[in-house]
Amino acid sequence: MLYLYCLSDEATARVLDGAAGIGGVAPHLFDCAGICAVVSEFASATVAVTRENVLAHERVLSRVLAATTPLPFRFGTVAGEERLENFVSTHRASLLSALARVRGAVEMSVKIIWDEEPERAAPDSEAQEAGAGTRFLLTKRRELLGAERLQERAENLSAWLAHMLEENVKDSLVEVRPAASLVVSASHLVAREAVESYRARLEAARRERPDLRFLTSGPWPPYSFSNLFP
Amino acid sequence: MNESPDSPVPVEPGIETEHAEEFIEHLRRVSDSLPSHINVDAQSVEQGLAKLVLTLIELIRRLLEKQAVRRMEGGELAPEQIEELGLALMKLEEKMAELKEQFGLADEDLNLDLGPIGKLI
Repeated sequence: MLYLYCLSDEATARVLDGAAGIGGVAPHLFDCAGICAVVSEFASATVAVTRENVLAHERVLSRVLAATTPLPFRFGTVAGEERLENFVSTHRASLLSALARVRGAVEMSVKIIWDEEPERAAPDSEAQEAGAGTRFLLTKRRELLGAERLQERAENLSAWLAHMLEENVKDSLVEVRPAASLVVSASHLVAREAVESYRARLEAARRERPDLRFLTSGPWPPYSFSNLFP
Repeated sequence: MNESPDSPVPVEPGIETEHAEEFIEHLRRVSDSLPSHINVDAQSVEQGLAKLVLTLIELIRRLLEKQAVRRMEGGELAPEQIEELGLALMKLEEKMAELKEQFGLADEDLNLDLGPIGKLI
């Protein structure tokens, strides 16, 4: 069996010199007609989720990312040689397209926590003389209106973040959850040469909105942009 | 294939935040909500089935509430109809609360996370 780290059409064996992967086993390239998989020998069909193994996976990816942008496999991906070859040959066109999409770029992540809650509008005056059923629906109306306004504020926040970073972002995947404290989770594909400019714009965003809490991270291999089957 | 640098410097990702505790707490809540393993004993299966059925009922109930509010706002309902519909939905909400209590389910338990699509309710 093989433990799979990533796919690349640019990586060379030199990138992996001295690297140690899962279980301390050195990774190597496995060529599948021009698309190379970075793999290491692995004795089992499952991988223990341990800090050591997760960091080993990340260290190998980090090595490759220093030289080129691969398509990373999710942690714990194991396959035999035949299955790997079949996968690459079956999806070759999609894989080459995905590799071209992420070429020269890295993934950056932004998460935002806010304190917003649905507005509690004043009770309708008409409710005071209404029956129980009518009061119930009037209350639901207030709740719906509050939820809609919250949704709008969340979407405005997401649009503001996108505007702040648009010049530095090649592609993005954003989740907006108005009802949650973690309101925005964004993954951005950023050209390597634009990472510092991206960070500067993020810092500007932080200063502009001191009411929000930001968590930013990266650069990462483009996990979010490697899904062939969204 | 392109040549890589002789000794590529591994890329070390950074994490920046001034509110580490808040984000850690959020991650902890997410991980706590994930099942540590799959239970296939009879009670767990029954609980899981109840959760699925009640989730679907809750979704439909909320859709009915929204529809009722829209019709009320649109002037499609006479006052007596608003009262009757409101009472029916109020009783349905009360019944759902009883069922959730009976199966030991909280509101959050019925809100399936559909990933990129968001939460069901």
